[in-house]
Amino acid sequence: MAPRHLWLVLLLAPAAHAIESDAAALQLADLPDAPAAAVPTRDWRAHAELAAGIARPRDGAQAPDSARLSLDAVLDTTLAPGWRLVLSDRLDGWAWQGRADRAINTLREAYVGWQPDASTVVDLGRVNVRYGAGLGYNPTDFFKAGALRSVTSADPQALRENRQGSVMLRGQRLWQGGALTALWSPELADSPSDDGFDLDLGATNPVDRWLLVASQRLNDWFDPQWLLYGEPGSVQAGVNWSVLLSDALVGYVEWAGGNQPSLLARARGEDDSAFRAAYTVGATWTTSFKLSVSAEYQRDNSAVDADEWKALQNDVRLGTQRGSADDYARYRQLAGTRQALTTREGLMLYASWQDAGVAGLDLAGYWRRDLVDASWQSWLQARWRGRWADLTAQWLYNHGTALSNYGAAPATQRWQLALTHYF
Amino acid sequence: MRTFLPALVMVLASAVHAAPEAQALLAASDAIRNPEKPFGLTTTLIEYRNGKQQETTSLAVYSRSERGSGQFRSLLRFLAPARDTGKLMLKSGNDLWFHDPANQATIRISPQQRLLGQAANGDVVTVNLAGDYSARLAGEEDITDGDRQPRRAWRLELAARAPDVTYHRIEYWLDRSNNRPIKARFYAQSGSLLKTAYYRRYQSQLGVERPTETVIIDGLDPNWVTVMRFADYAWRDVPESWLQRDYLPRFKPE
Repeated sequence: MAPRHLWLVLLLAPAAHAIESDAAALQLADLPDAPAAAVPTRDWRAHAELAAGIARPRDGAQAPDSARLSLDAVLDTTLAPGWRLVLSDRLDGWAWQGRADRAINTLREAYVGWQPDASTVVDLGRVNVRYGAGLGYNPTDFFKAGALRSVTSADPQALRENRQGSVMLRGQRLWQGGALTALWSPELADSPSDDGFDLDLGATNPVDRWLLVASQRLNDWFDPQWLLYGEPGSVQAGVNWSVLLSDALVGYVEWAGGNQPSLLARARGEDDSAFRAAYTVGATWTTSFKLSVSAEYQRDNSAVDADEWKALQNDVRLGTQRGSADDYARYRQLAGTRQALTTREGLMLYASWQDAGVAGLDLAGYWRRDLVDASWQSWLQARWRGRWADLTAQWLYNHGTALSNYGAAPATQRWQLALTHYF
Repeated sequence: MRTFLPALVMVLASAVHAAPEAQALLAASDAIRNPEKPFGLTTTLIEYRNGKQQETTSLAVYSRSERGSGQFRSLLRFLAPARDTGKLMLKSGNDLWFHDPANQATIRISPQQRLLGQAANGDVVTVNLAGDYSARLAGEEDITDGDRQPRRAWRLELAARAPDVTYHRIEYWLDRSNNRPIKARFYAQSGSLLKTAYYRRYQSQLGVERPTETVIIDGLDPNWVTVMRFADYAWRDVPESWLQRDYLPRFKPE
């Protein structure tokens, strides 16, 4: 080729490449093996998961290795025009090294829904009601207390999946850009059950509760969700608001407050009711290469402050002063049951990266720091999305002094490998 | 007079053969891609990387145009793969919500976050470009369409009216004889090519010849190709009251 024509070739090269790649792409689309028709709609979904976990116990603690087989199924079907049945259940079969094995069944949802017209819905039964704009802590998720039954992962999303709903009557009225939801959940039992196949109504329906939720879209950036919640001796208001700050940034705030006892008083069986609020504020930023990063500040004025936390820890260190060495354990257990913050302030960074360098590989992880006692927890997950099954590897690390929020966990490190098949 | 007459003739001639108004062309092509009444369809997205078929995603799409703006509001429900069955995405302009029935979480997502999944390609289709973009007629060209047929096409240059859109600029080729979309190139604000789309396999759906397949080529990685197939077009009752965050946990497909 004559050198004088070289510039022409160089100039046209990108265009020629584009045309070639376009033609190749169109040829791919012509391939006969590509599915032409869509899959049929079905009213159920299910998956099975086989997992093995090993743990490194903290000094003097017990954290046995474990194996687990989980079966998870959801049916959401139409009984008759306007009538719907939802059943959602999970069975976890656990085995702990040389110690015990146990099956825990979680009936997440079982309710009948009636929709007399497009704008009215009524549900009766066990319903998993969840509200909250936050990622790692949800003060407006009023029905989270007692909802956890079988913890299979530290992933905040998994904690929301494996929870049992409360029995309730729920109604919703919708209009363009707005909705009003009202629900009533009665007291059905006094105390939680240790029986793995119990409905555990004592955990989910220990007192009479009600909730009103209203939302009205006012404009593109202001469409909060307002909540009003009541239980004996306490009424709380709440709000959830998230806003698009740029093409790649979403900010959110979640707030709940009202007359209520502190968590420590609840643990002691006392009543020090006063106005107390809790909130979460954060933002999620997404890059062009499929990485999402969230930062979240969490605060709960019902939880212990630095002085109260030190006092609780000192009670354990020093023995039985005030006869309350058990306060620490009771307080922690209650915080866990209610999925509340253990201390007043926390920080969470969460990142997820889809197709992390390789198509089909998803990475996720978080770092949570207790801002009162400086202990922290980190969690990493790698998930390979295979054609027939997903392979997941998880690593959890707890750091802190022996009685700190995260340092007190029985295991300093946990690893889990899981194989999940979706039917 | 000698100079005036030819000028008059030219003016009259150009009036007779006037180029059509670009915005009207764009609106006409929108009407070909999107039915005017609330409708539903099923989209199957087949992804190829380096010529090898990857995961296939199926979505049921329920869509209606908003009164006033004409912008489409869509509810996308995952049918496949099995791990994503039942997940929902609500899209009304940049107002985007994602609902996962497994954890009952309904969260607002950013347009950039929406691009994480294959569903992102789904809304390349059900979008009314005339609402968000100003069109300019950039000329006429002979191009090869997605079915390898030569076509005489209008080339439109679309400029985003608002700064917060994912595709800052679009090059859009329409069949000169019937305004059918043939091809589009979607650009980021930086000027980089994000996607090339070919609209092809026109068939009669809901009374109009519409493209039943779109081939999307990634701008940064031409070896990443997504084929979208559309089936089960049907008029659907999609009440306005359903297209909001608070209805997502209750949504039950027919």
